[in-house]
Amino acid sequence: MSLSDTTPPPGDRNDMPFWGRVATSPSYRRFSDAMLSSPGRQFAMLAVIPILWVLLTHLGPLLQMFRVSLLDAYPPTRDIAPQFTTEHYGLFFKDQLFFAPFMRTLVFSLSLTLITLVVVYPVAYFLARHVKRNNQLLFLMLLLIPFWAGEIIRSYAMMLMLGNNGAINLALRAVGLIDRPIPFMYTNFAVSFAIIYLTALYMLLPLYSALEKIPQSFSEAAADLGAGPLKRFWRVTLPLSLDGVASGCTLVFLISTGIYAVPVLFGGPSTTTFAETIAGFFHVAGDRWPTGAAFSIIMLITALTITMVFNRLIKMLQKEKHR
Amino acid sequence: MTKLIQNRRGFIKSAAATGLILSSPAYLRTASAQGAGQVNVWAYDGFVPGDFVDQFQDETGIKVNMRLVDDQGKQFNLMAAERQSPTADIVTVAGHRFLQFIDSDLIAPLDTSRLSNWGAINPVFSESDWSTVSGNKWGVPILSGAEIMAYNSDMATIDQPSSWDTMFSDEWAGQNAYILQDMFSIVMLYLGYDGNMVAYMDDPEEAARIVNETRDFLIENKSKVRKYYDAGAEIQQMFINQDVSVAHSWNGPIAKLIADGFPVKMTIPKEGSYGFVYTLNVAQGGPNTDNAYTFLDFLMSKPEYGAEMSRQSGFISTYKGASDHLSDEEKAATSFPEEELSRLQFFRAEANEMKYALVDRAVEEVRAA
Repeated sequence: MSLSDTTPPPGDRNDMPFWGRVATSPSYRRFSDAMLSSPGRQFAMLAVIPILWVLLTHLGPLLQMFRVSLLDAYPPTRDIAPQFTTEHYGLFFKDQLFFAPFMRTLVFSLSLTLITLVVVYPVAYFLARHVKRNNQLLFLMLLLIPFWAGEIIRSYAMMLMLGNNGAINLALRAVGLIDRPIPFMYTNFAVSFAIIYLTALYMLLPLYSALEKIPQSFSEAAADLGAGPLKRFWRVTLPLSLDGVASGCTLVFLISTGIYAVPVLFGGPSTTTFAETIAGFFHVAGDRWPTGAAFSIIMLITALTITMVFNRLIKMLQKEKHR
Repeated sequence: MTKLIQNRRGFIKSAAATGLILSSPAYLRTASAQGAGQVNVWAYDGFVPGDFVDQFQDETGIKVNMRLVDDQGKQFNLMAAERQSPTADIVTVAGHRFLQFIDSDLIAPLDTSRLSNWGAINPVFSESDWSTVSGNKWGVPILSGAEIMAYNSDMATIDQPSSWDTMFSDEWAGQNAYILQDMFSIVMLYLGYDGNMVAYMDDPEEAARIVNETRDFLIENKSKVRKYYDAGAEIQQMFINQDVSVAHSWNGPIAKLIADGFPVKMTIPKEGSYGFVYTLNVAQGGPNTDNAYTFLDFLMSKPEYGAEMSRQSGFISTYKGASDHLSDEEKAATSFPEEELSRLQFFRAEANEMKYALVDRAVEEVRAA
């Protein structure tokens, strides 16, 4: 039976509520018949909303920022129409001034990604391989509790801990290890500590997911064949968890290259990151958004290129191990 | 493939919900920014006291939508970005930044004839030379501030630091902080130059040389700085956590700490410093201009409001008689000895275009060094 077979007589429609009248109107019926006539069309109808969402909220702002990066001035000056130019991209390559924070950010992000991996991998391993399956959710929830609070709240809590008058210095003084407080805050250490803390979850979840899928029997088989714990980890567990390593590292690296609040709150005079340099162009009163936008696009392309190369390397490594 | 949409009614509901979601930004914007009986105010934290807002809303029926700002540059950029369809009715501009906002057509001339309480402002501020540009007034002066040196009176071993030298001495290395861009003007003054750069308007080469000398001085002393900060709340936090012992700051955040009983003091060093006045301005083309005038007139109607603004922000009120409503402790926290006040000069705007073209780049160079 076709949907249109259920159309009530015209006289009855006037007694219907508004949505009922809409649903039974001929034009709406023609439209809905066309849209719902096959599962493929229904799928397309449903896909429109998520695709629009991604375009509007994710790609849209990026495209807008790319457009701004090609204008000679923005926000537009009164009575002057902006012209298109690539001079802001040229500025980055011509002026060494901006190269230092750019390189510092890349090196910093790569190092932090590696440190986060080294710190978080054992946690994920313990959780996936040694905690009973029934208790894993409980452990995950315990690890997630700090993330129920916002990033800024967690950052300020960390600042209170690392300050001259913070918990760590007070504890060290209480046990007589130091006379004067150790200046943790506003250093590379503080920025690193905070970024690792804030991004650990993005490393933990993919690693846990990858490790949890590896059957215990693989390790047992390797042990039966005489492989020791280290060899089992190196030849079995690590290769099979490389997908998680790739996902976790990609997330942490991309977040680290763009993170802004942490270097502002925790950083000192010598920790200026590229995100802070970019923000400077948006904060200074004037029309320098295009320079900031161009620098953002340069960092985005660089970060994406690095992660693509990294993921390609991981794939090659996986193929190598499978031979 | 499974049938994804079960029936027409479901489809209608989905479509209606989607339409509502997609159209909501336009609806919300209309409701929040353009509705009758509202006024949209952009101000620094504490500049418009909550009690005042409640009284204003009760007596006039006009709803106040507050948006906090923390930086003149950010506010300028936000206003410029929405130039075609402004949402702000009242903004907060520092007196020495007037020209930039006026030249960009972001604020409107103030029609003082619509403000019956205009006389409540001390003429030192309302009639001063900087407040009149192109024959017009451009804002209601509400609070006055200064670039000062603050120090933790418990931790500082000397009685009272009296020179900006303290900021660059080895003794305080790693225990000081400053707002880098503001520090350029102060260091120029410290090195014997005009930090307003008005004296070099006809000599751009000399202006560039002075900015470069200042930049080099700040780079040379960079290793002694604990933190370049931006917002008043940051320096308050640093003093409370004892991360710094001396700092350059605006007087407002430090006065708040003093009023709260924290052992911090402030001084205008012997080399001098700069003062500024915050004004509330009517935004050009704002959606509720009449309400903006009602708001400003109401705000000036009682000296108690001026006192409360001073109490909340830590800055000095420009209202006649506002200090009569402050306690002795509050007066002490927000005032300076006559001798120190005599070292203060106001920021001027005439050379700002040249000055900030040089200083903005120099700031980046110091950060990158």
